This record gives sequence, C-alpha cells and structure tokens, in this order.
Amino acid sequence: MNTPREQTLTQADPITLEVVRNALVAIVMEMTDNLIRTAYSPIAAEIKDFSIGLLDANGDSIAQAPNGVPMFCADLNATIKRGLEIYAEEGFADGDIILSNDTETNGQHVNNMAAYSPIVANGEVVAFAAVRSHWIDVGGVAVGSMPGNSRDIFSEGIQIPFMKVYRAGKPDESVLRLIKTNSRFPELVMGDMRAQISACRLGEQRFLDLIKRYGRDAVMACIHRIWDEAETVARAAVTKIPDGTYEAACVLDNDGLNLDKPIPLKVKVVIAGSDMTIDFSGMSPPVQGPFNSRASGTIARVAFKYLTTPQMAITEGGFRNLKIVCPEGTILSAPPTAPMSWFNMAVVSTIDLVLRAVQPAMPDAITAGSADNIGMSHISGIDPRTGRVFQTFAPFLGGWGARPNGDGPSAVVSLVQGDVRFMPIEVQETVTPIRVLEFGLHNDSGGPGRYRGGLGIVLGREVLTDAEFHGRFERTKDAPWGFAGGKPGVVTHSVFRHEGQPDRPAPLKCEGMPLKKGDQEFSYTSGGGGIGLPWTRDPERVRNDVLNGYVSIDAAREQYGVVLNKASLDIDETATVARRRILNSKEPT
Amino acid sequence: MTSKFAVGVDIGGTFTDLVGFDLGTSRIVVTKAPSTPRELSGGIMECVRKSDIAIADMETLFHGSTVVINAIIERKGAKTGLLTTRGFRDVLEIGRGNRPANYDLFYDKPLPFVPRYLRFEVTERIAPDGAVIAPLDVAGLETVARAAREQQLEALAICFLHSYANESHEEQARERLQALLPGVFICTSSELVREWREFERSSTTVLNAFVGPNVESYIARLEEVTAQAGFGGQFYLMQSSGGVMTAARAKRYPVAMVESGPVAGMIGAAHIGTLLGARLVIGFDMGGTTAKCSLIEDGEPKVSQVYYVGGYVHGYPLQVPTTEVVEVGTGGGSLAWRDNLGALKVGPRSAGSEPGPVCIGAGGTEPTVTDANVLLGRINAARYLGGEMSLDVPAARRAMEESIAKPLGLSVEAAAAGVLTIANSNMALAVRAITIEKGVDPREATLIAFGGGGPLHAAAIARDIGIPRVVVPTLPACFSALGMLLADLRHDLVRTFVRPFPMQDCAEINGVISELRLDGVERLKSADVAEADIECSVHLDLRYAGQQWTLTTPVGGDTVSAKDAPAIRTAFNALYETRFGHSFTNIPSEVVNVRVIAIGRRPKPGFPPLAARKSGAPAVTHRSVNMGAGPANTPIYRREDLLCADRITGPAVIEEGSATTLVGPGDRAELSEHGFIVIHINKGNSA
Repeated sequence: MNTPREQTLTQADPITLEVVRNALVAIVMEMTDNLIRTAYSPIAAEIKDFSIGLLDANGDSIAQAPNGVPMFCADLNATIKRGLEIYAEEGFADGDIILSNDTETNGQHVNNMAAYSPIVANGEVVAFAAVRSHWIDVGGVAVGSMPGNSRDIFSEGIQIPFMKVYRAGKPDESVLRLIKTNSRFPELVMGDMRAQISACRLGEQRFLDLIKRYGRDAVMACIHRIWDEAETVARAAVTKIPDGTYEAACVLDNDGLNLDKPIPLKVKVVIAGSDMTIDFSGMSPPVQGPFNSRASGTIARVAFKYLTTPQMAITEGGFRNLKIVCPEGTILSAPPTAPMSWFNMAVVSTIDLVLRAVQPAMPDAITAGSADNIGMSHISGIDPRTGRVFQTFAPFLGGWGARPNGDGPSAVVSLVQGDVRFMPIEVQETVTPIRVLEFGLHNDSGGPGRYRGGLGIVLGREVLTDAEFHGRFERTKDAPWGFAGGKPGVVTHSVFRHEGQPDRPAPLKCEGMPLKKGDQEFSYTSGGGGIGLPWTRDPERVRNDVLNGYVSIDAAREQYGVVLNKASLDIDETATVARRRILNSKEPT
Repeated sequence: MTSKFAVGVDIGGTFTDLVGFDLGTSRIVVTKAPSTPRELSGGIMECVRKSDIAIADMETLFHGSTVVINAIIERKGAKTGLLTTRGFRDVLEIGRGNRPANYDLFYDKPLPFVPRYLRFEVTERIAPDGAVIAPLDVAGLETVARAAREQQLEALAICFLHSYANESHEEQARERLQALLPGVFICTSSELVREWREFERSSTTVLNAFVGPNVESYIARLEEVTAQAGFGGQFYLMQSSGGVMTAARAKRYPVAMVESGPVAGMIGAAHIGTLLGARLVIGFDMGGTTAKCSLIEDGEPKVSQVYYVGGYVHGYPLQVPTTEVVEVGTGGGSLAWRDNLGALKVGPRSAGSEPGPVCIGAGGTEPTVTDANVLLGRINAARYLGGEMSLDVPAARRAMEESIAKPLGLSVEAAAAGVLTIANSNMALAVRAITIEKGVDPREATLIAFGGGGPLHAAAIARDIGIPRVVVPTLPACFSALGMLLADLRHDLVRTFVRPFPMQDCAEINGVISELRLDGVERLKSADVAEADIECSVHLDLRYAGQQWTLTTPVGGDTVSAKDAPAIRTAFNALYETRFGHSFTNIPSEVVNVRVIAIGRRPKPGFPPLAARKSGAPAVTHRSVNMGAGPANTPIYRREDLLCADRITGPAVIEEGSATTLVGPGDRAELSEHGFIVIHINKGNSA
C-alpha cells in the first residue's frame, strides 16, 4: 500500500467511487450511442471506426468508449496534449470546438478526424470531451481518400491542423467552408462533423452534471483512484511476465508501389519488474507507398492491452508502466508528409509481432500468428441498374492463430477490428452488381499443430458488369507463424476463373485492374499458425477435422501422421504410429 | 353460479405462478407451487389444484415458459442437420466474422448448433429479385436424405439464399425430404421469416429445428394432461413479441417463444399504463438475479427485429420480433463484494435461489441486496414472503460486517446503505439507457414496478433520474403470469422487398402487403378469432439510399398508393428527425422490408374496482426503518387495508404477501380506483 492511494481513498468514499466509476463509463457509452445515431455516413454505425473519450485538463484519458474498434486505444491523449501546446497562450473558452487530423500528431490516415471540446466549470477547463471518427472523404486523388499507390500525404486529402471551428459556441464559417469545399461528399462529412460535435457537447453536459452532483474534488479524487487502481492491475500483470529482452521480426510483402521489395518489421520488448518497454527502433525506414504512420503509441498500447489487461476499462492509469521507444525515421514514425492511407497494414502485423516477441515468456497466454490483413480485395464500377458508382466493401476474414490449449477460430477479422461485421451475401448481391459463387472455409489453410490454426475463407465472386479490381492482400510472403513446432498457416492466394480454362493468378495488390462482365475471381485467405508438433495432435481431433473437411485425408497423413480409412474414417492405429515415427525423426531439433 | 376463468401460468426457475381471473366476478386467484423441472406439467397441475378453479371452467389457458431458452442454453435438443445452397454451407459457422470482445485473444465464436459434417449442400440458386438462376436439383435431395438417415437426424433446417424473395425451392425441398424422411422435424427459413441476411436467418431456422421435436412433445404433453383433467378451452403460448399464439403454431415455431417469460410483465405494464392514461411508461421488473426494463410508448412496448440468445457477444441471433428489454445484473440475490483492490461492487454475481441471501439461512455466506434491505428494516424480517419464512437477521449482520463494513471502515448500516446506493445506481443506468440516452425525457414518464424487488427500489431509481411517478400494480410479485392474461394474439409477418420508394407503380408492393395480410388473417381465423376482432397494420422499413439503418414507418392504411406515398416518405423523415436529430428531403429513399402485424383482439380482464373509504384512516403500525438518513420510527401499512384514494406521505412502507413498497421521504402515495399504488416522487429528496 503506497501513500498516494491511501490519500485518494480517504477523499473518495467507496460508495461514491463505485457510482462515479460506472457513471464515467456510461457517459462515454452515451456519447458513442449519440454519435452512431447522428452520424450521416454509415461508417460509424457499421464499422465502428471511431474513438471516443473523456480526458482530464492535461489530456490524460479518464474514460474511453469500450465499443469502438480495438485499433484505437487511449490514443486521443496526444491530440489533446498537442492542442494544449498550440493554444497555450490563447487558451480554451466554453463552447470551443477544435478539429484536427494533422498527421504529425494524429499519425494515421487523414480520414481520421478528431473533434474535441473543453469542459469548463467556474471559468476553468476541468476536462475535455473528444470524438475521432473516420470521414468518408477528405479529398485527394482517390474517391474515399485511401489510394493504394499514393506517394505523399497531399495526394490523400486535406489536413486540418488544430483549427477552432467553433469559438465560444460560434461557428467559424470560413473554416467550415474550407472543409466543405475539400470533400467529394460535403453533406456526409459536414453531417459527421456535426454528430461529433453533438457527442462532445453531450459529454460536456454529463461530466458537468457529475461534478455538480458530487463536487469537482470528489470526482477528481475518484478518477485518480481509478487510475491508481488501473496502474496496480497493469503492474501486477507485467510482474507476472519473466524479466528479459524479447524480440521478433517479420516482413510485409511490399508498399503497394515497389512490389518486389519486402518491408522488414522488427520489435523489441523489455520486461523489467513491473515495467514494459516496447521498442520500435528496429523497424523499416519509411516507405514510398502508403504504409507509413506515426502510430507507434497506438500500436504499443493495443499490444499491451492484449498482453496484460484485456478486460480492464481504458484509462491513463492502465499504461503508466508502459514505455514506448520509437525514434524518428521509421515506418511508424514517418515524416508527416509521407503517404499513410493504408497505415493499418503495418499496424496489425506489428501488434501481432509484439505478441510473438513475448510468447516465449508467457507461452500459455499468447495465440500463434493470425492472418493480419484488413480488407478483402474490392471491386468497383458503375452499376448499370442505377448509373451510380458502386464499390464492394468487405473486411478481411482469415484464420486466427492456435491457442496454447485449443484450435484457433476460423474466418474472423483482424486483432484491430473487433466488432466489424462482414456484409451478408444477400445484401451484397442486392446493392452491387456482383454474384457470390462461394463463401466458405478455406480447407487445409489452418497451420498444422498439436493445436491447429483457424481457417481462412474462400470468397468467389462474378461481376455482372464491366468493373475494376483492386488488390488489397498482405502478408503472403511471411506466413502467420506457428509456435513450439506448430506450422505456419497457408497464405492468401487469389485466382481468376473462366469455365473451361485453367485458373490464372490474380494480383494480390493492384489498383483498378479491368474486369469484363462474367469474370470470376476467387480469393483463398490465410489460415492462422499452429502450436505444438502436428504429429502430437490427438488423432481423434484429426479424425474429427477430416470428418468435417477442415483437414483433408491426405494432409492428415502428411502433416499430422494420422492415417485414416478412406471410407469409414476409422484411425489405422498401426499405420499412424509408423507415420508419426517418420515425421518425428525428420524434425530437425 | 359457475364462473369462467382466464388463467396464466408462468414457469420460473424456482416457482411456478398461476394467476386466474374470474371473467364473471373479476375476482383474481393466485397460487404458487415449486417448479418441477423434470416434468414441468407437474408444477402447473399442482398450481391448478391449489387454485380451487375447476379446470373445466377455464376458458383460456396462457402459458409462458423458459423451456425453449433453456434448451438452447443447455444445448439439449435434437440432432440437427442443415441444407443450404451449394457453396454456402459454412455461412452458419462463419457468422459475420466479427470478434465483439475487444483485446481478448481467446475470444471464441459461438459454436454452431449443426457441425460441418451435418451441413449439406444442394444445387439451386435464386437471385435477389426472386428470379430462378439455377433450378433445384431435386434428384440431389436423395443423397441428402440418405446421409440424414445414416446420421439418424431428428431435425433438419433448410435455408437457401434469397428464399425471402422466392420460397419455392425451400418448399420443394421440404416436400421431397419430408416424404423421404418421415418423422424428422423439418423447417424452412421462409416459413419462419422472410427477411434477408442469410446468417441470421440460418441461425433462426437451425435453432427452431434444434428445439422443435422436444418443444412439440412438451406442448403435446401439456395438452394431454390438461385435457385428461377436463380442460376444453383455448391453450395459448406467450411469444417474445408480446402476443400469444395457439399451441398448434407453437409446436411448429418454438423459437417465437424464447423470451416468453419476461415479456409478459411488460405487456401487463403497457396495459396498466393505458388504464392510467400514461403515454410514456417504463416497465421495471426486479427479480432475484437481474433487473429488466422496457420502454413503452402509447401502450406499445418497443419490439426489435433481431434478438441474440445468450447476448450479443457470445450469443446466437434470432430474426424473431422480441420486446426490447434492457437487463442489468442487479437483483435481490446480487452479491455485495470487494474486488482484489478493495473496491465495493454489487453483482452481477448472484446468490440466486440457492443458497440465496444470508438471511434465508440456506447456506449463503456473502451478503446480498436483500440482506442489505433486511438490515435497514426496509424488508420486514418477521413477515418475509407473507410470514412463510423467518429470517436470520444476525447472520446477515455478521456477513455484512465481515465482508464489507469492517474492511471499509464503515458501520453495518452505512455499508448496507452503500450497497443499496450502488445497486440503485446500477439499475438507474439501465433505465437511463432506454430513456435519456434515446432522447426520451424521463420527466414525462411513469415507472411501473414489479417483480419481487421492483416496488422496493423503484422510488429511489425514479428520483435519481427524474421520473415523477411510480406505479406498483396489483400482484407485483407474480405480475408476469398476470400480464399474459392481458395479451392479444399476434403474428408479425415480414417480406424483404428492396425497391426505390416512393415507386411509380404500387401494384407489386400492394401484392406483397395483401399476401402478408391474408397469411396473418388466416392464422388468426384458424385460432378461432372472429373477423371483427382482427386488426392488421402495415409498416415499411425505409432508409435513405446508401445507408444501412432502416426505420419501421407506419403506412396508415391497408395499401400504398402513388398518392399517399409522399406522405409516408414525410412520416419517415419525421421519424428519422426524432431519432437522429436531422433528416434529408433531397436524398432518395428505399423500402427494404414490408411488415404486417396481425392482431387478434381478446377481451381483457378488468381490474376489480377498489372500494373507497367511508370513514377513518388505514390501520398503521410502526417499526424502525433506515431510509438512508439513519434509523427512524416509520409507519407501516398493509396493502390489503388500503382503499381507493387513501393517501400516504413518506417515509412509509407498504407490505403485502411477497412484496414491499417503499415510499421515500416526501413521496406521496395514493391508491387508484384499480387498486394500484401510485407514488408521486418528491424531487427535492435524494435518499
């Protein structure tokens, strides 16, 4: 028991503490609900691509809405803190709204726009309410502002560097005109901005109500107590990890422009007592294509959450024992002018890499490598039924890595996407001129192991009109890794199919490749990595996998050393023992 | 004189409740018997025996039960197969691919109820507009039937792509397979729900098949047992939608009954709100492990079109209209505990009915919300459950002292009051979620409180969020059984029909509407509903082109005409404006689903009028009760002593059989002509 905690405990009685704790989470949840209900574009409701929080007067996170995507973890702090520097002299007035997507601080694609407002009590800023949301278009060369082949940030859209769009409750019409003029969908964008502002205003009101009811000192005492508790929990979690320095590396396929040039990613994690340092010094330098970011803080915090305190509410206190090292000049600390539209490709693999690094220290708590992709390749064109532009959207579904005591889940979104949902086939076929030919599991794609990786999917589509194909696949060269002798997952491949002709490989990354009406494309996505030697897997589980078609009878024999009778699927015990002996002797030690 | 009765029976985890209503004299009969999980009809018949109602005098028997939801949660059902369009057998397993538990490396999708080797495919294909792209390979069904026989399937679900637009392939497949597989429970997705989204529809169909055979025999058994005892009336089952259906339909469509228990209470609350002329009502039901609340506007509880059995994160979707209920893990049995950092928590862990609160003396050692109420004198320890059970107050005191008061440096009373403050604030957050957070002003609402704990906590919750009026109805502790008697027959029919709206030519959409209406009317007529008692309302799910959100917009009339369509569009704009704070007049809109709700009105029992007091005042005793500001000698009333227009100013306690109503300091309670306790909340007080 240290002294500061005892102090705050005496200030915050246990009953008020519990009521305030629940009330703070309820405020950010209500802000979220408000944003989802009032946003104009469907991105907030469907993809939950937002980050909503209350922060204190120094920009430290009081509470963050738990139902956004996991990608954004306590990542509004930097924006508030930078704003405090910029407006150090001018200060903030009640009713101000500050808008920013400036890449130097935000460090993500320019679609991600933060709006926030000071919460003022008795003439003093006591906290901030903040909402960052993905805007559907902020200009640049591509519809949607996310080109796959941009070479600088300027081709991706406009930046709004910490501008006050409202001063003391009054809109600055000139700034609003600037924003409106720079989007292809001005109504949607302005509508989304108003939704963000309305959610901030709601957060202000609710926080002020709380202060009025319990007193500012009591509420702040509760917040400090919540932070201290979070720190205690986070420190206890890190203390359980053996001290040491842990490293891991992998490569991304390419940056979308230089297709033959892989991008090396490398992380180092140092555990010392109850502190964790995540070090990105070894990452690739910035790249020419749009895979850059300044998102090292976000990445580190998401990985830290996965490793230590998955269930705990997100607050400043939960990250006090996390140190992030990322010198300027890496792919995660790129110049603010570097292209960033597909920054999340590097983000997802880097988070998985941090887990991989620490795996030897906590093998019971880490899953093997996952597919680590963000979106399926998409198809766009003009819908002949309406004459309007259409574009398919589908999150990538792939295999999750095996767990230390069980198989990995099949066909799920990546570890930064959470509750993003795949659009029903029946809806896709209604709203776009495509026909889905197959939507199922990608057999034999899960990395073999004592515990098998999850399976990827097969998505086969036919275009019912001339269209364009955009390749968006990653991590096809460095497969989702296995642990402890488990094999990697099978990587994504994609083919064009014409009846009566052999399949042709489809490009994994490309921009606007023409398709003819009737063309068919089939994507087979990555499975997750396995854990443990495949020939130590319970033969009964292998038989069950073959029965269900997750694993073919040949793979059962070749990979798992389980020989089954083709008709009855009974296990041939003798042949299995013999086959497993061979596999075991081949394994290099 | 022989009376006719309407009888509602609600099977709960511990007790089976029966409420009988004498249709001649308006007399209400209540009985309770232990539930008999192995043979549920036993508890029902025991209730009937205790009730002194001759079973032959029952005109209608209503039944709500957890049998369906338990079968799903415990995964005790039929060995089930699934037949899909070729290329899509994995839809059930893939789901929507989401992982709704952020930062959890070990999140698992819910395990499908049909394993992959029992999911079969057949060649056939229908387009989104219902056109046949590939005919059904009828010969291929022989293979499916052979496999089903080999696997000894007891049930089979059929779900083809776009069958909401054209059911013919599912129908053909069912016909052929039923001929090949006599005795197997076969259901198609299109007979259950004609709405798009193949995963949700498959899940609905599979769960219906999974529980089908067992529920079919459960209902048949009830029919048999009651018939043998002389029952000759109509037997109805409560649906999640808040309406009832006949036993014959319930046997085919058991998934419609998943939430049949909790919903009945909300129907009762809606009815009482209407009797009192309250436009905006919050139904609040606090039981042993959870508290539930629903928003009711103009006598209609909100109904949602998708429901997740077992919750959104780990559960299974059902495309079944379900009364929206927000639930929070706070009930009488919720445990008060300290986490490993010493912070005080209440729930969601619960002592349940076993071992129950410490004061029951059945082995509970951790203090609960009920123990806190007993320690503060709010619950009368000498008269718990009408005096059937004596309470061990010293044991409750010891538990509160040791686990909460001493470690936190509080007195036992302060600890107990703190536990109730936290419990009330948790429940208030749930009520906030359905009102303030949805743009509904609680200052215009009436909170109707029932369940064992509702009347005890309602005033504090209402005060917390600014609800001016609380109503405690007749028989609050068995209000679900009572609510069933107030339900109508109801069938929700839907067809996904995606078109620009308004459209030039309305013939096609009117064709769909009249088909749905005919279907609804037919279902009601086959349940012996007279033409005059049938009401159909038509609704369109509309959205702005390009958006995902739809809003169910009432059409007003029976058909859509080019002339009224703009008015429907305007009504949609207005709904959108209310819900989202803005609307668009210049963006084209689309219809997505056509809905018809067919209601068969039933005569409702009227609450017997409460006599007015001719002279004097109700009997009152006193005992020490702590309402939050320390123990004080407080007036105690017996509910049966109260008469119409009696007024009580709080602090006061009103006790009845198995419920206690707390009237807070400054609150004013009044007895209505129907016998309800109406409490006007004192705004200034924050106990």
